Amino acid sequence: MTFDDRQTRLQDIIDEPLNTWLDQAVADGNVPIGYTCSYVPRALLSLDGLIPVRVRAPGAAGTEIAEIYLSNVTCSYSRSLLEFAMDDRYDFLGGWVFAAGCDHIRRLLDNLDYLISPDFSHMIDAPHRKGDAALDWYIKELDILLEKLADHFGIDTGEEALNAAVINQNRLHRSLKEIADLRKQKQPPISGTEFQRIMMASLTVPAGDMEKALREIKDSVARREKQTDFRARLMVVGGNIDDTDFIHTIESTGGLVVADRFCTGSLPGLVMLDESNDPLTEIAQKTLLETSCPRMMEDFQDRLGSIIDTAREYDVDGVIVEHIKFCDIWGIETGLLVDGLREAGLPALRLERDYRQTGEGQLRTRIQAFLERMNK
Amino acid sequence: MKPSLIGDLAVYGKYSLVNWMKIIILVVRHGPFDVIRDIRRYPWILVLLQVNSLMWRFIRGRTGRYREATAVVMSDIVSSVIRMMEDVFFRGNRLVIHEDMVPPEIMRAMGLAPFMTELMGILMPMIKPHSVENYIDASENEGIPPDICSLPKSTMGLALKGHLPPALAVVTSNLPCDGGMSSYMLIEKKLKLPVFRLDIPYNFDTDRAVKYFAGELRRMIDWLEAHTPGRMDWERLREICEERNKMLEYELELWDMIRIRPAPLAGEPVWLSHMWNFNVTPGSPASTRIYKRITEMGRKNLEEGVSSIKDERYRALLWNPPMIHFIDIYNWAEKTYGISLIMDSMTFNRIPMIDTGTQDSMLEGLGRTIMAGPMARHTRGPAKNYLDDIFHIHKHFDIDMVWVAGHIGCKNTQALNGMLRELCRRESIPLLIINYDLSDPRIVSREGIIEQIDHFMENIMKAEKMAS
Repeated sequence: MTFDDRQTRLQDIIDEPLNTWLDQAVADGNVPIGYTCSYVPRALLSLDGLIPVRVRAPGAAGTEIAEIYLSNVTCSYSRSLLEFAMDDRYDFLGGWVFAAGCDHIRRLLDNLDYLISPDFSHMIDAPHRKGDAALDWYIKELDILLEKLADHFGIDTGEEALNAAVINQNRLHRSLKEIADLRKQKQPPISGTEFQRIMMASLTVPAGDMEKALREIKDSVARREKQTDFRARLMVVGGNIDDTDFIHTIESTGGLVVADRFCTGSLPGLVMLDESNDPLTEIAQKTLLETSCPRMMEDFQDRLGSIIDTAREYDVDGVIVEHIKFCDIWGIETGLLVDGLREAGLPALRLERDYRQTGEGQLRTRIQAFLERMNK
Repeated sequence: MKPSLIGDLAVYGKYSLVNWMKIIILVVRHGPFDVIRDIRRYPWILVLLQVNSLMWRFIRGRTGRYREATAVVMSDIVSSVIRMMEDVFFRGNRLVIHEDMVPPEIMRAMGLAPFMTELMGILMPMIKPHSVENYIDASENEGIPPDICSLPKSTMGLALKGHLPPALAVVTSNLPCDGGMSSYMLIEKKLKLPVFRLDIPYNFDTDRAVKYFAGELRRMIDWLEAHTPGRMDWERLREICEERNKMLEYELELWDMIRIRPAPLAGEPVWLSHMWNFNVTPGSPASTRIYKRITEMGRKNLEEGVSSIKDERYRALLWNPPMIHFIDIYNWAEKTYGISLIMDSMTFNRIPMIDTGTQDSMLEGLGRTIMAGPMARHTRGPAKNYLDDIFHIHKHFDIDMVWVAGHIGCKNTQALNGMLRELCRRESIPLLIINYDLSDPRIVSREGIIEQIDHFMENIMKAEKMAS
C-alpha cells in the first residue's frame, strides 16, 4: 500500500465518529470514552480496556437543534458536538470526560447531562495557573477521576496499570514525533494536511491500530518524494482544529504547514512522560505545565516565547493565528499574539473561523494576500 | 406615615442638595484647578457628576419611605464614589486596581486603596446610557472581538484610552467568565503594572475548594506586601468582617420582609444597596448604617401595611445582571404594569456569616463570599447552581414571573436559556428572556427592551397597562 493509499484510508477513518477500527474495538469489549480538551490526560482514559476518543463532529452541517440549548453565541465546536450527541452519533461512547477548560465546554457538559444523561460523565477541575498548590489540586482531581472510573467501569487504576499506560503513550508519541520531525527538513516529505490526518486518527482510534498504521506510514514516507512545490513555510497556532480541510485550504494557496501548535496538533501535544516518576504525578505535571492554553491566565509571555522559538526551530516564513468565533480566551489572546509575533519580526495573520469549514474562498484570498505580503 | 406631595418633593430636594454639597466639598478640598485638570485626564468624572439625574430616574413617581429609601441608597453611592475619588486624588501611593470579583476587604485591611475597574463600566451607563460606547469601540478597534462581553470591553477601553488612574499594582482573578479573565492580559500589557491573579476552582462547593481559595488569598496578601506599602492588619480585617456580618443581618431581615405581598420595599433599596455595599464597600460602618436605615424603613412600612408601590399587581425576579443602560427599568415596570422587581441574581446569595475566630477562618469566609456570591456562583460549577436558585427564589419570595436579562455577550448564561425555558414551562412559571447587550444600547435600545416586555406582558401575562 502506498503512502497515498494509507492517507485515503486514514481520511475514511476520521470521517466518521465511529470509525471501523473503533467499532471493532467496541465489539471486542473495549469502552470508548469521549473527551474534549487537552487538560484531560489521555493516559488515564487508556486504562484497562478504555479507549480515549477526542470527540469531533466531522462533516457537521448545521447546529440548529443545539442552538436551542447552547444558543448561537457559543463556539461552533461545542454546538456541533451537542448536535451530534443529540443525533445519537455518540451513543457508542461509554462515557464523557471534560476539563473545565472554558465556559463553552463547561456548558456543553451541562446540556449533555440534561439532554442525554450519559451513563458516565465527569468534569476535571483544571486550575487556571501553575504552582505547587495548583499542581496538588490537579493531582487530586485526577485521582478523583480514577476513583470514579474504577467504580463505574470496574477497571484497574493501580500504579502498575498507570505505569503501563505511560509506557504505551510514550511509545505512540515517539512514533508520531518521528514523523512530525520530518517537517523540520527544508523539503519535508509530508504536507501539513497529511500530518494532520495522522494526528487526528491517533486521537480517535485504538492505540494498537494506530501504532501498526504508523509503522507502515514510516516505511512508505521514507520512499516518498520531497515537497518542493510550495511558496512559504507556515506555522498554525490556535485552538481546536480537528478537520483537515482548514489546513488543506491553507496549503492549496501554496503555503506548507510545517508546525502545528494547536489543541489537536503535535506541538506541544506529543509530550513525553518520564517513566521513572510516580505515574499520576508525572501525568498531572506534564499536562498542567506543558499544555499551554490561553486559559492559563499567567502564561502569556511563556506562550508567546515558545511560539517564537518554535517558529524559528521550524524555520517558518509566517505564522497563522486562528480561533473559532465566539471563543473568548482565544479571541482576546490572538490579537495580543499577533502583535507579539510582529514585534519579534515574524509575519503573522489572524483568522477567525467557524468550526466547520465555511467561506473557503474568502479564507484562500486572505492567505494568498498574506503570502504576497511576505513576498512569497 | 402617609406619603404627601410636599414630603416627596422635599426628599428629592434634600438628597440632591446633599449630593451636590458632597461634590462641592470634594472640589474645594482638591482645588478647582486640579479638578479641571483631572476631568481632562479622567473624562468619566463628568458623567459621575450627573448623578442626581440618575437619582431622579429612580425616585420619579415613587412616594413615601420607598422614595426616601431609594434616595438614601443613591446618596450613599455618591459618598462612596467621592471616597473613591479622594483615593485617586490623595492616596495614589496606596492605589491598587482590582477586578470586581476580588474581595476589597483584604486590601482595606492592608491600608490600601482599592479601585474597582469594572465599576466605571457599570456606573457610567447607569447615569448616561451611551457613555461607554467610546470605550467599547476602543477595545474593538484594538482587535478585541465584538462578541466579547461589553463590560470587559468597557474596562479594556478605559485602559487603552489611558483613563485609569496610576496605581501600584493590579489584582484580578479567573472570575466571572473567560472574557473577564482574559481581558486582564490586555490591561496588563497596557498598564505595564505588576499583576496578581487569583485562581478560583470550578467546583467551589467543597471544603477542599474553600481551603484552596483561602490559600490563594494568602498568596495575594504576600504578593501585595511585596509589591505595595500595604501591610496586613488582621485585627482590622476582623473588624471589617464583623461589620460585614452586621450588614448581612440587616439584609436578611429585609429579605424576610419583602417575602410578604405587597412588598414594603423593592427595587433599588434591595438590589442597588446590595450591589454597592456588598461589593464595593463591604465592612464599612457607613454601609451598615445604610442597611440599618433601609431595614427600619421597610419595617415601618410593614407595620403600617404600606406597600412600596401603590398597586403591586405582579412580583418579578430579574435574573442576570440588570440592564445597566436602562437601569430605571424597575421604576418603569412599577409604573407601567404594577410589577415589583423583588429579587435579582446580583443580590440573592447563599453566603454565610464570616467566622472571625482565626486568620484562616476569615480567609475561608471571605473566599466563600466570593465563590458562592452572585456572578461567581452562577457562572461556575454545574448548571444546577444557576437554575436551582431561580426556582428557590420563585417559591421563597412568591414570584409571579421570571425575567432573564439575556445579555448577548454572556455566553455562559446564554447556554442555559434552553434548559431554563423547558424547566420553567414544566413548572408553569412565565419566563421572559430579554435580548439585549449589558452596556451597549446600540445593540438593543431602551425602546427595544420595552417592546419585548410589552409583548410578554400582553400575550403571556394578559396584563393591562396601569392608568398613568
